Amino acid sequence: MKPVMDTLVFWILAGTAVVSALAVVVLRNPMNSVVALLVTLLVTAGLYLQMGAFVIALFQVILYVGAVLVLFLFVIMTLDLKSSRERPVLSPGGLAAAVTAGVFFIAGAGWFASRGGFFPGTAVSPGVPGNGPEIREIALDLFTGHLLVFELASVLLLAAAVAALVIVRKERSRP
Amino acid sequence: MSLESVIVTGIVLFVIGASGFLLRGNAIVLLLCIEVMLNAVNLILAGFARYLYGTEGQVFVFIIMTVSAAEAAVGLAIVVALVRLFGTADMTGVNLLKG
Repeated sequence: MKPVMDTLVFWILAGTAVVSALAVVVLRNPMNSVVALLVTLLVTAGLYLQMGAFVIALFQVILYVGAVLVLFLFVIMTLDLKSSRERPVLSPGGLAAAVTAGVFFIAGAGWFASRGGFFPGTAVSPGVPGNGPEIREIALDLFTGHLLVFELASVLLLAAAVAALVIVRKERSRP
Repeated sequence: MSLESVIVTGIVLFVIGASGFLLRGNAIVLLLCIEVMLNAVNLILAGFARYLYGTEGQVFVFIIMTVSAAEAAVGLAIVVALVRLFGTADMTGVNLLKG
């Protein structure tokens, strides 16, 4: 892929991600927010693909979109939150805070850009798209170098499953 | 596509998620904003992993995805318990810990 095309695809994907993330925050109905988050996650998977991280893109689609978002949809449909009303999303104070933060962010980004970027002298990432580490190298690193983290993650998942069951359990007799 | 553009995209996504977490009141939307923030961090980690030609960044992305799944399970359980207790998912009226 040519560099210009590469940059163009990147900015289209990044812009879509930012717009859909804004939609997650702004939309009133939680169901619409979940659909907007679905767009964000899929576009981020596209960014991973462009970076050559195929395994992460795969797990993003399987794990986030396939498991976590379906869980969100399931809970929203079960709870039937139509009747719940909420205060307006952007109060005047919140709007002022957002505008102030945006101005400061643009000023900071301009300052960084004026002194040559975050990493002076190494502006462009090396390699071509699709040149990332293969799944074999990642698996070797995960199961040898980070085996303790892997086991701790399994313990965390077990604890989370038990905790979720305990939290939603109805107590028979309340003292 | 440079490393800086990836980082700037990640920062913007993180800020959107954080401001949404502070501005919104619906409990489910709060959890969605946490997912947006974790996603932004994942994006930055993957960018650095590609930039440095390493595998650690992608391994960390896996771990963060695991933590995110666990967090979603526990968080949604808390939301279900809250809705059962208060009848609404609006977090502004929840003041159980108020002294």
